[in-house]
Amino acid sequence: MAIADYPENMPDQKGFFGEYGGSFIPEQLQVIIDEITAAYIEMKQDESFWNELHYLYKHYVGRPSPVFHAKNLSSKYGGAQIYFKREDLNHTGAHKINHCLGEALLAKKMGKKKLIAETGAGQHGVALATAAALTGLECDIYMGEVDIKKESPNVLRMKVLGARVIPATHGRKTLKEAVDAAFEAYVKDPVNQLYAIGSVVGPHPFPMLVRDFQSVVGREARAQILEMTGKLPSSVVACVGGGSNAMGIFSAFIKDKDVELYGVEPAGRGTADGDHAATITYGKPGIIHGFKCYLLQEANGDPMEVYSIASGLDYPGVGPEHSFLKDNGRVNYQSINDKEAVKMFFELSRVEGLIPALESSHAAAYAVKLAEKKSKDDVILVNLSGRGDKDLDFVVENYGKEYGVDKLG
Amino acid sequence: MKSYNGAYLVADYPDRERFISAALKSLEFFDFLEIGIPFSDPVSDGTVIAKAAYDVIESGVKFNDIMKSIDEIKSKIPADRKLYVMTYANHIYHRGIQNFGKIMNDHGISGMIIPDIPFIESRRFTDIFEQQGLEFIYFITPESKPEQIKQIAQSAKGFIYSVSMRGITGSSMNLKADIKTAVADAKTQTKVPVVLGFGIRDVESCKNALETADGFIIGTRMIELLNEDADNSSFNKFVEELKAKF
Repeated sequence: MAIADYPENMPDQKGFFGEYGGSFIPEQLQVIIDEITAAYIEMKQDESFWNELHYLYKHYVGRPSPVFHAKNLSSKYGGAQIYFKREDLNHTGAHKINHCLGEALLAKKMGKKKLIAETGAGQHGVALATAAALTGLECDIYMGEVDIKKESPNVLRMKVLGARVIPATHGRKTLKEAVDAAFEAYVKDPVNQLYAIGSVVGPHPFPMLVRDFQSVVGREARAQILEMTGKLPSSVVACVGGGSNAMGIFSAFIKDKDVELYGVEPAGRGTADGDHAATITYGKPGIIHGFKCYLLQEANGDPMEVYSIASGLDYPGVGPEHSFLKDNGRVNYQSINDKEAVKMFFELSRVEGLIPALESSHAAAYAVKLAEKKSKDDVILVNLSGRGDKDLDFVVENYGKEYGVDKLG
Repeated sequence: MKSYNGAYLVADYPDRERFISAALKSLEFFDFLEIGIPFSDPVSDGTVIAKAAYDVIESGVKFNDIMKSIDEIKSKIPADRKLYVMTYANHIYHRGIQNFGKIMNDHGISGMIIPDIPFIESRRFTDIFEQQGLEFIYFITPESKPEQIKQIAQSAKGFIYSVSMRGITGSSMNLKADIKTAVADAKTQTKVPVVLGFGIRDVESCKNALETADGFIIGTRMIELLNEDADNSSFNKFVEELKAKF
């Protein structure tokens, strides 16, 4: 593959990134998904669509999000200069709103009445409920009963925004069951509903479509870092669960051969099966939820139960484009465990006054490790994909004491 | 023409003995049995089948256990009764397509029904399965294009699985005119039976199916019947009813 042709020629017409991606879905859904692909490809050529989306990015989301030179953190660790792309400053607090607005406009254009999706911790659900409210669409969010109890602030946000939060009550009652429940509801009425997938996963065209909507992050960041430092960064770092924020920022740098790209996976609480969600590091190719990708799987071929302290990274598969970028070597995939992520959660809060999402803490933690090995002239750009407000209760309850934070007094 | 009908059961559900007993009972009436190998992310199945699959996985049943149950069923049924395995693509991909096909051959399985392999992705599987003499069952839907129906009709082996509506297993029967057209279209171009599945749950819907298609497949209802008691009596009664009516 010629890097020079990338990523405009990816995926191919059937949605493959090399051997990954595609469309592994029931025949009765294929026609509907083909309609979505056709509508998106038509919309992609339409200047007025992009004008509308960019108007919302600017006036509603608050784009462009700034790039911030973390001088305190950089000098404390004594290596490369660390810069953060501040996606945490977006409306709703993370990068998810970038693709949710795009999906909502697509649904409107296709004449759909309702957006539906699954959510784990509620971040994608809140962003989608927001986009639905703005565009006048109904919104059903499927969420595991266990997660509903754990994430009550986000559940309330979705309800206040007018969305229905529908509990998934079977199996382990978490994200995977929420996907099943949302899928079941979707196939019952694919005509009036659009399943707004929450990452660069699922059947074609979703990995492409979500990447395209997230690519604004990379385009802005590349121009901003050039303006601030007069050169391209030596490395770009982002966390990878499904991989939407990483594809967003990587997409603008893939052709810059001298820029190293690092995807950071969650190493959880250990390397045993079920203790992590480091899909690319430990998985092997498989097929899940309609696409082919690296997949953590049991010996018998079922997707594995996975774990990470960051619910947004807690997924046994990964985007097909990441799977491709792993095999061709363009992106280097590393991992950071729970402890390192929590340490960075407090470190970034106290050294820079930025409370990062636990997901983004993984990226920042790896960036610091990397910075220590680099010279002062090197620039490392990190996607700070979300803010950590949503994680405060959990982190304080479980790790507060260690860091001198007491919930009661 | 005699109808050609199938039943679907989740392997080793509710347990090994009751599964084998239900399989043998159903093959007194049905021409073939679809045996579902549970997958943890069954995107084509509704709650009833998904829950049954989940229970089997949770109970610790392994792939090899299921193959042993299949051997026992195979040894006790007439040669004209066919067994199919229904499972998701990853189970096959995980073991290697060639190797999976060999296992199926070794256990006397006639072919595979893989709901997350649509026609456009089927070649990589069919190329190998056909060499091994296994049938890859194609689906047609109310939205299948005439050109695709033609291709499927001409290359189909075993039977053609027509999905009676948009939806997943366990949805209600709703025979739209467009599936009738698709089935009729396929029937004129193929040598194999065109069988209607999804939403068929009683004598009435079986009769409706037979007005259009060469046969029917009953799935979710079979699982519900197994859930009704602890000794398969509701299940057996239903099979007897079908035997009497058709």
